[in-house]
Amino acid sequence: MADNQFEEEDFQSKFNGNVIKRIFEFITPHKRWFFLFLFCTLITSVMDSLQVYLNKLLLDNAIVPGLKSQVLPYLKYYGLTVIIQAIGVFTFVYLAGMLSERIWYDLRQKMFDHLQKLSLSYYAVTPVGWIMSRVNSDSFKIADLVTWGMVDSSFAIVNILISGGFMLAINWRMALIVFAVFPIMLYVSWQFRKRILKEFRLVRKLNSKVTGAFNENIMGVRVVKAFQREDQNLKEFNDLTYPMFQSAYKAARLNALFLPCIQLISSVALGLIIWSADWQIRSGLMTIGGIQAFVNYVTSIMWPVQDLARVYGEMQQSVASGERIFSLLDTQPAIVDKPDAFEPQTLCGEIEFDHVSFWYDDGDGRPVLEDFSLKVNQGETIALVGSTGGGKSTIVNLLARFYEPKKGVIRICGRDYRDYKMESIQSRIGMVLQTPHLFSGTIRENIRYGKLDATDEEIEQAARQAGADTFIRSFPNQYEEQVGEGGNLLSFGQKQLISLARAILADPEIFIMDEATSSVDTLTENLIQQGMDHMMKGRTSFIIAHRLSTIKRADRILVIEDGKIIEEGTHFQLLAKKGKYYHLYTQQYREEKERDLKLNPLSA
Amino acid sequence: MMSGYRLKYFLAIFSQLFSTVFKSSVYILLSWFIDTWLISNERPIPAYGIGLGFVLLALCEGLFTFYSNSTANYIAEKMALRIRNNLYDQIQRLNFAYHATVDTGDLIQRATSDVDAVRRFFSEQAIGIGRICFLYAVNFIAIYRMDSSLALSTLMIVPLVFLMALFFFRKIGKRYEAYQNQDALLSTMLQENLTGVRVVKAFARQDYEIEKYRKENWKKFLLGKKLVFTEALFWPSTDLLCGFQMVISYMLGAYATISGRISVGDFVAFQALIVWIIWPIRNMGRLIVQMSRAFISFQRIMEIFANEQEPLDEGTVMPRKVPEGEINFDHVSFAYQPENETLHDLSFHVSPGQSVAIIGPTGSGKTSLINLLPRFYEYTSGRITLDGMELNRIPRNYLRKHIGIVEQEPFLFSRSIAENITYGAGREVSTDEIIQAAKAAAIHESILSFEKGYDTLVGERGVTLSGGQKQRIAIARTLLKNPKILLLDDATSSVDMDTEVEIRAALNELMKDRTTFIIAHRIQTIMQADLILVMDQGKIVQSGTHQELIQQEGFYRQIFNLQSQIEEALEKELSHGG
Repeated sequence: MADNQFEEEDFQSKFNGNVIKRIFEFITPHKRWFFLFLFCTLITSVMDSLQVYLNKLLLDNAIVPGLKSQVLPYLKYYGLTVIIQAIGVFTFVYLAGMLSERIWYDLRQKMFDHLQKLSLSYYAVTPVGWIMSRVNSDSFKIADLVTWGMVDSSFAIVNILISGGFMLAINWRMALIVFAVFPIMLYVSWQFRKRILKEFRLVRKLNSKVTGAFNENIMGVRVVKAFQREDQNLKEFNDLTYPMFQSAYKAARLNALFLPCIQLISSVALGLIIWSADWQIRSGLMTIGGIQAFVNYVTSIMWPVQDLARVYGEMQQSVASGERIFSLLDTQPAIVDKPDAFEPQTLCGEIEFDHVSFWYDDGDGRPVLEDFSLKVNQGETIALVGSTGGGKSTIVNLLARFYEPKKGVIRICGRDYRDYKMESIQSRIGMVLQTPHLFSGTIRENIRYGKLDATDEEIEQAARQAGADTFIRSFPNQYEEQVGEGGNLLSFGQKQLISLARAILADPEIFIMDEATSSVDTLTENLIQQGMDHMMKGRTSFIIAHRLSTIKRADRILVIEDGKIIEEGTHFQLLAKKGKYYHLYTQQYREEKERDLKLNPLSA
Repeated sequence: MMSGYRLKYFLAIFSQLFSTVFKSSVYILLSWFIDTWLISNERPIPAYGIGLGFVLLALCEGLFTFYSNSTANYIAEKMALRIRNNLYDQIQRLNFAYHATVDTGDLIQRATSDVDAVRRFFSEQAIGIGRICFLYAVNFIAIYRMDSSLALSTLMIVPLVFLMALFFFRKIGKRYEAYQNQDALLSTMLQENLTGVRVVKAFARQDYEIEKYRKENWKKFLLGKKLVFTEALFWPSTDLLCGFQMVISYMLGAYATISGRISVGDFVAFQALIVWIIWPIRNMGRLIVQMSRAFISFQRIMEIFANEQEPLDEGTVMPRKVPEGEINFDHVSFAYQPENETLHDLSFHVSPGQSVAIIGPTGSGKTSLINLLPRFYEYTSGRITLDGMELNRIPRNYLRKHIGIVEQEPFLFSRSIAENITYGAGREVSTDEIIQAAKAAAIHESILSFEKGYDTLVGERGVTLSGGQKQRIAIARTLLKNPKILLLDDATSSVDMDTEVEIRAALNELMKDRTTFIIAHRIQTIMQADLILVMDQGKIVQSGTHQELIQQEGFYRQIFNLQSQIEEALEKELSHGG
């Protein structure tokens, strides 16, 4: 995996018509709203230019000739444009804003839905942070582009066009002056934007590094102090913040220069207009109102020009965002159901690995399992032991169909498990993972995860069977206690008990448990054991075992090394062999005993 | 905090005044042009002179605007730089008692978004408010000079718009907060879904997750809609107010012109100037609300500075260059909180170069004891002496320079492995030395097995190291520091036994000529110590050498006897099974 594949902001993509087309397809379901807000934007923009023109008429037809009676009619029209404009503004702000929210919603949902389909192999190589940025911020940029970006650019374009039309109608010679200056303005704006954007990107990149530096400095404060790195750290930190200051200031200075430059260009146009106005008025080609209108058009034309340059810059970023989003949405799940896959009513616990080989696509290509065969009878408890990286987790991953064998077949009830629907297998397998994962919410909600329509009674029953009931009841809110983000308000042992209760509630046909290596106190340990006993009764169970008590209870122990079963048998058979198992067992025995002494207060 | 920039910033705001004066002058010039050239048909100077005047005025306005904004931004960015660096330094110099209570996320937020809020106060808000005030004042005076009643008529709506904006932005602030909270919730939900993907799949709960996410996502959409609605109401309603103010002003202006109170040129100028009075007021409300947020951010930052730094070089004795390493505890007690003592009345003596092993159950105070030596925490009563000198009179700097610590869960930084190993050396280290240290810590081979070897990045962007690998890198890191006193806080807890044998050999080498404190639970590590302390609930319950302790009834003997117990048990099991 290339290191920089998931680096941010490095998609310096050129405009890609196809991506833009796909981006705008997100609007299709909301076409009506889209065109309505565009229409309102246009109306508002037209009113803007119209007001300037009405002013001209007021000046020429009422004020200069001194006709008091003519004042009010024009102002009435003016008032009308104000009202229409207000309605237009309300509508397009509301519609564009709402649509932006809606498209953000759509995009997020679409990505979330798709993510649920992707296989574990995708998650193994894609950092969570990367996915989060796609779902949370790239989607926002797209939503922003197709709504506010469209508002700003259409408003700007219409404003320029309509103003241009009025200018031509008032006086084409002067209009030509403005038209000559206009492209220069656009060009200068774009040049500024480009440079400012470049600096901003740098600032953003450095900013995330600064945040990272803060994070490390706080998390690693003990090491910093123990190694007296304070001065050195500050120096290194300044090496991050100083360039950030430089880039930020550079961008700000460019920004500060930007507006005056554009204003200066428009003042040149203004100067030329005034100069030519002198003789044009004398020869009757121009009115005072006309001059005023031109002054207004010229001084306000720089705003739409600026908007256009800005939207254009943002559009580039949005295209990059779009590309990243599509790269996510276009990823196909590695495991899909066969078209004729079927859903069995129940699953039996008879499992067979038939000459299975497997390797991870992101690994070095070496098989993790090679020609692995195993037959498990209904109700049997299998303990997998052996050193890390030997392939125990892979066996379990294959069984749960998180991955599928590259060679060979896995059979459940004598049938290739790829013939079943994935969901039907996974919903019939109960799993307890090594690091228990809970979701924010109450304890009750977390247990209910195992069976969504479970009654409160069933939930409490499962908790009792898992040995979790006692500690749950010790909380002030009992089952309604919040577990915190990822369950981190609970201790490790408590989380494990709850995830056990969750699996018990699911009442699966096959039970898989990846035992935790972390130590828990003896009491919790005993509770977990009881829960597991309950779970394994009558069910085919696979346990990646670390604790002696678990190992000893298994019907069959498999010692897995380098993707192969090197020893197999019951506890006593293997012990008598005095081989690898014997070695592992004695080591574990000692550790547990020592741990027991370590974890339990002497005088308690 | 603003020291050195006050005058400059004042000038930056003040140049906005000139900028607005030049802006208004454009319209005064226009009015003069219309009245003189076009109405009276007089030509005191050539018409291109007027044109040049416009360009000149734009140039002057631009210069002042540029000076003002660029200076304000310079100061804002400089302040942000200053605050960031000071905060960073402050955070690393705060004492442990502070760090123990602090929430990392909150602290980071203060250091990033709160600093940004303060930055924006200087770069946009303060300068923006200055500009709006000057715009208002200058244009009002300009109109007042034409006709006082016209000027006063513009006052009608201004306070109304201002109050409306203030009210509105307050309200939108609240809605925005609700919206933001929902956004955060959604983000957490996504993160939990992604990190818990195995659970989701194991229970085949994809549809349930989708539904759950959809519900909250939809809620956010509705909140967003509500927010947008408020916003959509604000703009047109103030548009209407401002628009009608314009209509009324135009009407009054038109009548004044027709009745001859002001000239046609004045009317044209009036129409332009009034725009610059009315519309900016709308922004004032927003700026004020944003400003009040910047003040809160500022307070949140200052809270961090209000905590006292750990004085690193404070001390009344200056010991010699390298300590001998003789340590004495004399009735030492320590409490994190006054009412709850963690260590009670500890007394023991360590000669230079000796090793002390500390064992005891979790929570018995082993780590707390070790924390006292580099003065991470201060003992509350009794005396600790190093080479005969009272510990709390020796500068912390000195202690930390000569004390090396390897922790149970060592923290590595997201840099390369080589950089992590040299982290605390405080000098240039040759590659050879790094490799030596890594070899001594029994990690060299593992490092070479990574594709990039010593340049492999640690952490999210690089490899994920196992607990044992981290510990061994931490050992190498401490080896390079070459301290006189060594604290090993369960430094081999996450390595398996075979590796531990290797490390122990390395550690034995490391412990030579150093005073060493070892917290450990494996008997083999402890046995050779010159002094073994058995701790329970903050007290030393047994102390002595291995030989002495195995003679006594107690925790130590229990541990020691495990080995023979295990063999016995195995024998029993075998015979039972066989």
